[in-house]
Amino acid sequence: MRDNLRTFKNAAWLGWQMESNWTDPFLFATYSIVKPLAGTLILVFMYLVITHGDTSTPGFSYMFIGNALYMYVAEVLFGVTWVIHDDREHYMTLKQVYIAPISFYYYIFGRAAIKIAITSVGVLLTILFGIFVLDVEVSLASISWPLLIVSLVLGLAAICIMGLALGGISFLTAKHGQGINEGVAGVFYVLSGVIFPITILPTWAQSISKILPVTYWMEAMRRGLEPGVITDLGSTTGMDGMDNWFLMLVLILSTIAFLFISVGIFRFADKTARRKGKIDWTTAY
Amino acid sequence: MTSAVEISSLTRVFNPKKKKEGKSITALDNVDLRINQGELFGLLGPNGAGKTTLLKILSTLLLPTSGSASIAGFDVAKDFLEVRKRINMVSGGEISGYGLLTVRENLWMFCQFYGIKTSIAYQRIDEMLELFGMASKKNEKVRTLSTGERQKMNVIRGFVTDPEILLLDEPTLGLDVNASRVIRDYIVNWVKNGKGKTVLLTTHYMAEADQLCDRIAIINQGKILACDTPENLKKLVKASRTLKLEVTMLRNKDQFGLVPGVEKFTYIDDYDKGITVLKFVLSDESAVNDIVSELLKEHAKIVSLQKTEPTLEDVFIKMVGKGFE
Amino acid sequence: MSDSWVIRNLRAIRGRAYPRVIGSIREPSWVIFDIALPLLTVAAYVYLYKFIDAPKEFVGFVILGGAMTAFWLNILWSMASQLYWEKETGNLSLFLMAPVSRMSILAGMAVGGLFFTTLRAGSTMAIGILVFGVALSLSNPLMLIAIFVATMVALYGMGMMLASLYLLFGREAYNMSNLLTEPIYLVSGFYFPVSKLGFWTAAGASVIPITLGLDALRQLFYPATGVQYAFLSIHLELVILCVLCVVFIFLSKASLDYMEKLGKTSGRLTLRWQ
Repeated sequence: MRDNLRTFKNAAWLGWQMESNWTDPFLFATYSIVKPLAGTLILVFMYLVITHGDTSTPGFSYMFIGNALYMYVAEVLFGVTWVIHDDREHYMTLKQVYIAPISFYYYIFGRAAIKIAITSVGVLLTILFGIFVLDVEVSLASISWPLLIVSLVLGLAAICIMGLALGGISFLTAKHGQGINEGVAGVFYVLSGVIFPITILPTWAQSISKILPVTYWMEAMRRGLEPGVITDLGSTTGMDGMDNWFLMLVLILSTIAFLFISVGIFRFADKTARRKGKIDWTTAY
Repeated sequence: MTSAVEISSLTRVFNPKKKKEGKSITALDNVDLRINQGELFGLLGPNGAGKTTLLKILSTLLLPTSGSASIAGFDVAKDFLEVRKRINMVSGGEISGYGLLTVRENLWMFCQFYGIKTSIAYQRIDEMLELFGMASKKNEKVRTLSTGERQKMNVIRGFVTDPEILLLDEPTLGLDVNASRVIRDYIVNWVKNGKGKTVLLTTHYMAEADQLCDRIAIINQGKILACDTPENLKKLVKASRTLKLEVTMLRNKDQFGLVPGVEKFTYIDDYDKGITVLKFVLSDESAVNDIVSELLKEHAKIVSLQKTEPTLEDVFIKMVGKGFE
Repeated sequence: MSDSWVIRNLRAIRGRAYPRVIGSIREPSWVIFDIALPLLTVAAYVYLYKFIDAPKEFVGFVILGGAMTAFWLNILWSMASQLYWEKETGNLSLFLMAPVSRMSILAGMAVGGLFFTTLRAGSTMAIGILVFGVALSLSNPLMLIAIFVATMVALYGMGMMLASLYLLFGREAYNMSNLLTEPIYLVSGFYFPVSKLGFWTAAGASVIPITLGLDALRQLFYPATGVQYAFLSIHLELVILCVLCVVFIFLSKASLDYMEKLGKTSGRLTLRWQ
C-alpha cells in the first residue's frame, strides 16, 4: 500500500510539473484562471444573444453550472488519455514507467488527481464568476453540502475510472486517436444534461441519457449546489421523479459497475498492446 | 587548397532566460579552424566541449555571438540559403522521421526538401539501401526498425542529398561493430571518390577518429587545443612510444643505446629462459630498422616483439588533462 | 527567383504533405472521430438554442459554424502547433536546414490536411442539415467559391504567422494556442452572427479571416436570414478578405524570418522540452 501511495504521489507531482513548469507562477496562475472562463464565455454569449442580455432566467444558471462542472469530465477524460500518448510519443518515457515495479493504475490515478485539483480551481473560479458577474443563482445558504460533497466525490471517482478504460484503449490507438476520448466526453456533453435538460432531446436519445452515469451526477450536483434552479425550471430536467437517495444509489452502482468494466478493458488493452508491441510505438505524422 | 569551411574567432555564449537558471555559458570561445575541400576532418572533445554547438552554427541552426563561419565561401549567418544547398547533417541517436512512413518514403520526403526529382531520389535511395544492407527494409515502417537500422537510415538521409559538405555528429553512436564499420567505410569512400566532398565528423571514439580522419581538432571548453594530422598529434606525446624485444642471449648490448632515435634503453638477461629482454623508448620510428640491423650483426633471433604507440587518447589526456567522461 | 527555387519549394510542399495524406490513410480511425466529434458539438449547441427558444435560423448558423471549426482547428493544431511537435521529435532542425522556404513546409502541412479537413467540414454540414432539417441555398456558387478560397488563403497565412511563434517558444506557445481556441469561436461568431457583438467588436474580430468568411458564407447559404444578421455586405467582405490574404502572407513571411532569427540568436530554435 505504501508503494502504491508513493507511486500516486510521484505521479501527481509529475503531473503538476507537466502542467505548470512551462512558465512562471504568475503567468500560470493567470492562465489557469483565464482558460476555464474563456471556455465558458462562448455559451454565455450564445445565451445573451438570444435573450438580449437577460441572465436572470433559471435556464441560464442551469446551463452555466452544468458547463462549469463538465470541465471535470472533459479535463479528466481527455487528460488521462493524453498522459498515455504524451508519455509514449512526446517524452518517450512510457516504457520506463511501464516496466518500473509500480502499479500503473496508481500512476494513472496520480496523474488524474492533479488534473482534478487544477480543474477544481477552474470550476470554482468559473462558478464564482457566474455568481458575482452574471447573477447565477447559487447562494451559500441554500447549498446542500452533504449531497454536494458525496455526489462530487462519487462523480469524480466514476470519471477517473472511466478515464482508466480510455487510457487502456489509448495504448492501442494512434496519437490522433485521442479523438475517442473527446468523442466520449462529447457524448456526455450532448446526452447528460450538461447545458440543457435531457427532456429537450428526442425520446430515443433520452433513453440513452438515462443509462449514462454523468447524467445522474449532473442532476445530483445541481440539486446540491442550486436546488432552487431545478424547481424554477418547472421540474423539467427529466429526472423529477427521482429522489436524492435514488440518485446516490445510481451513482454508487454505476461507479462500481464502471470499476469492473474499466479494469477489464484496461487489462485487455494492456495485454493486447504488449502482444502487438505497442507500448512504445510512435504514430505522429 | 580551397577551403570548405572557414571559422574565424567564433564565439557563442548562451545566456539563461532568467537569473535563477544559472550563469552564462561560453560554449565556443574564439574558435579558429579551416577545413579543406576533400578532407575528412575530425572534431574530438569531451561532453560539453562545444562540438554540437559548432555543428549547429555551421548548419545554420544557431547564430554565433561573435566571429564568423563560412561554408564553401558563404557566410552561415547571412547567406544561409546558399549554405543549406550545400550541406547536410546527421546526428547520432536521431529520432527524426515519421514512424508511419516506410523507410523509402521517409528518405524520399527529405529528398523533396532538397528539390531532388523523384526518379533520381528513388534511384539514390535504393542504391544506398543496398549498400547499407537495408534493401529488405525499404518498405518497412520506420517505427519497426531497430536502433541500428534507424541510424543507418539517418546516415543515408545525410548522403542521399549529395551535399558538398556533410556534418556528422557522432554518427555511429550506440551502433554495433558491423553497423559502425559499414558506415565508416562508406564515409571514407565517399570522401575519397567524391571529388571535393568534405566531411566534418565529431566523435567520442578515438579509434574511429584515428582511422578515418585526415586531420583532427581537439576541443575542450569551447577552445581548440590542437589541430593536426593524427600522426603529428601523436608525436606530441613522445614518452609512450616503446619497443620491447625478447631475443636469444646477447653478448654485446651497449651499442643498442647508441642507435639514433633511441631515447632510452634498458636490458635484462634472463638466464633461465636463455633470452635477453631489450626495452627501448623511441623518439623516432625509424630506429626500429637500425635496432634490427644490430640484432642481425649479433646473430640474435627475435623471440617476441611488442611495440606500443601513443594513441589519440594519450594525446587527449595530455591536452585536456583527463579522459572522456 | 529562378525556376529551380520554385520547383524546389513545390517539391517541399509535396514532400511535407505526403506524410499527412499517407498517415491519414494508414490510420483511418480519425474518420469516425473527425465526423462524429464536430456533430456532437453541433448537436449540443442546436439543442441549447432549442432550450432557450432561439429563432430557427440559428440552427443553421450552428451547423455552418461547426463545419468551419474543422478549418480553424486544422490551422491551429495541425499546422501552427505542429512545429512544436516537429521540434520535439527532431524533425524541425532537419526542415530548417533544408534550402526551402519555411512557408513551403507549412504549406505542405496545410495542403496535406486540407482534403480531410474539407471532408470533415462537408460531412458535418451534410449530416447536420439532414438531421436537423435545415434548408441551404446554393444560388451563387461562384461567390461561394471565391469567399471560401479567400478565407482559406488568409486563414492559412495567419496560421503561418502563429506557427512562427513555435520557432522561439515551446509549451508557452502551445498553451496559448490552447487558450485561444474557444475565444476565437466566440469573437469570430462561429455559433452566432458576429454582428450581435456590436460593430466595433465585430470589426476588431474581422482581423481573423474566418470572421468575415463565416459571415459571408452565412449570407450565401442562408440568404434570407443570413442577410438579416449580416455584419457587412458579401462583396465588401470579399474585398477585405483579399486584402487580408496579402497582409497575412506578407506578415507570415516577416514573422517566420524574424522568429527564426530570434530563435537562432537565443539558441532556442531547436531546443526541446521548453
